[in-house]
Amino acid sequence: MQNDEFYIGWMQEAPKSFSAWIKKYLFVLLTIIIMLGVLLALSQKKFDSGNFEFGKLTEVKGIYFSKPVPVIKVIDGKDIWGNENYITVPLIGFGKHGADGVIADIEKEKNISLEAKEVTLKGTLLYNDGKLLMQIDANDEPLISVADAAINIADLQKIKQLGTTDIKGEIVDPKCFFGVMKPGEGKPHKDCAIRCILGGIPPVLKVTNEEGRQNYYLIVGADGEKMNDMVQDYVAAPVTIHANAVEYGDWIVLYVQQNGLQHYSYIQEHYNSAYVACSANCLK
Amino acid sequence: MGASYSAVGWNRQKKIYDWIIFSFCVVYLATFIVLTAIFNPDYTFETVLIRSTSTLAVLILHVILSIGPLTRLNKKFFPLLYNRRHLGVTMFCIILVHGAFGILQFHSLGNVNPFVSLFTSNTHYDSIADFPFQALGFFALIIFFLMAITSHDFWLHNLSPKIWKTLHMFVYLAYFLVVMHVMLGVIQYETNPVFIIIMIIGAITLISLHLVAGLKEARKDKINYNLKEEGFVFVCGVTEIEESRAKIFCIDKERIAVYKHEDKLYAIHNVCKHQGGPLGEGKIIDGCITCPWHGYQYLPQNGQSPPPFKEMVNTYDVKVKDNKVWLNPMPYAEGTERPGANIR
Ligand code: HEM
Ligand code: FES
Repeated sequence: MQNDEFYIGWMQEAPKSFSAWIKKYLFVLLTIIIMLGVLLALSQKKFDSGNFEFGKLTEVKGIYFSKPVPVIKVIDGKDIWGNENYITVPLIGFGKHGADGVIADIEKEKNISLEAKEVTLKGTLLYNDGKLLMQIDANDEPLISVADAAINIADLQKIKQLGTTDIKGEIVDPKCFFGVMKPGEGKPHKDCAIRCILGGIPPVLKVTNEEGRQNYYLIVGADGEKMNDMVQDYVAAPVTIHANAVEYGDWIVLYVQQNGLQHYSYIQEHYNSAYVACSANCLK
Repeated sequence: MGASYSAVGWNRQKKIYDWIIFSFCVVYLATFIVLTAIFNPDYTFETVLIRSTSTLAVLILHVILSIGPLTRLNKKFFPLLYNRRHLGVTMFCIILVHGAFGILQFHSLGNVNPFVSLFTSNTHYDSIADFPFQALGFFALIIFFLMAITSHDFWLHNLSPKIWKTLHMFVYLAYFLVVMHVMLGVIQYETNPVFIIIMIIGAITLISLHLVAGLKEARKDKINYNLKEEGFVFVCGVTEIEESRAKIFCIDKERIAVYKHEDKLYAIHNVCKHQGGPLGEGKIIDGCITCPWHGYQYLPQNGQSPPPFKEMVNTYDVKVKDNKVWLNPMPYAEGTERPGANIR
């Protein structure tokens, strides 16, 4: 009598009707598992093409500047007017740290200043969307050589004032965003971006224009001071920035004005404040 | 029979169970990882690991949480229940990989301890949209950890079944934390609605299964037994109970199982001393009432587990008059010998 079959886990074998039922269940479950695997894997947002050359050290020669953020400017021929052409490579440290500590240690140990010197640094490159950055790690003994600059550095120091601007974007940490992590932006990455920026990695504003293309801006305080600690509450969320924009060759730096960093509110932008106040009254 | 009872090792069924868990996990991980690598070639290894393990664990969590109601709706699901703890421990191991990689990747090598970073990077605890979702995952992980390390029967006995059961009920809190961890985390980033739809379907499935199973049970408990005589309550006709099986009656909020065995009726408390399984849904095997959940056994005439086991449940008086079964809901002390009632 099939009805009388009884399952006990410690029996060697489950009764027929039970094992047949479970087999059906497992078949359904396996189908669901495979379908979910396919669906979830294919529905993820596309990862961007950023790259972090983990484990590969590259030597790069350029002129070092500590302001507005630590960078080396790598000469890349001359432009049609005969000016030095260069690529700016912001420097960052190991893990979730800025490069300032590593540079300060080198300067102290060698008792020299690297400012405006021609240096050869050994580090790990990361790049994405036309931007190149380099990680320098004290353990890799990053300083290969240092010498006085052989070229006229005035060319490299030319800046262009772009005036005051209001701009909307998302603050990211450039290390993760340009290559170390994917996704290196948005809510899932928020904690990490905050930790990186609090560790000294210079914050970058990512701005998406109407055609969907991205532009990137370094952000510092109104007088060029670091803003790392001040942006904590604004990372990985839409913000508006009121700033003085200055072009340093291939990077634009935003000098954020007093109270110039605000959370972006869709409602405030699209409905003027009178309308909001009025509807608030109506709701009451 | 005590011998086969004590010899619960890794028997054939357990081995099959574990092999199925293992191979299903491999199938899922392989599907997810290979497809991501093919269709999203710019992936990073850490992200694929974080995502494949977390989604697999949530899937297993749904399976685990549905087994209880499924067995209540259909007894054929019992084989899933017997080794459910293996599923739980597997799920914990998998989600530990997710949590550990999460902490390593997002919080280590910074200017503060990774665990401090977990709670202090994002401090928008007062906001819904910005809420630090990783903290929710962390607390869920702690609950799963406590459940996994106490999953052995050693802890069941040491903590007492009541405390153990309470601890394991926290799985529902953990489930809620996980849902919020996903809703306030990755779902705010992904643009494809598939993720939120899957989470909602999962939650609806679990809630409906629990409701349907709960209602079925509650309906049974609601039956009133009005015919009373000298403490005895009329419950059913003799023929309504099958040989070697029982019927469960809920009187004054206590569930009592009345078993028919070799022309006699016996009544014992319905709640198994192991994990509270429904003894009345069991069967008499080798003269012992056998719990359907994990096979603990009790003698019908005294509610005691056969030696060397020491579990005992309450017994009750039953009597038969004119083919009608009368039950006295006053319990005797656990393990008290009762003669049973002759059917004829
Ligand atoms: C210490 C504990 C945990 C940490 C630090 C953590 C961290 C994270 C992070 C950072 C993400 C976003 C990753 C991404 O970019 O996709 C995430 C997503 C997710 N987590 Fe957790 N989590 C933890 C515990 C848990 C637990 C216990 C579960 C469930 C059992 C869970 C399930 C998920 C799921 C389903 C996702 C979304 C899928 C994904 O994208 O990975 N997490 N978690
Ligand atoms: S509840 Fe586990 S054997 Fe009864």
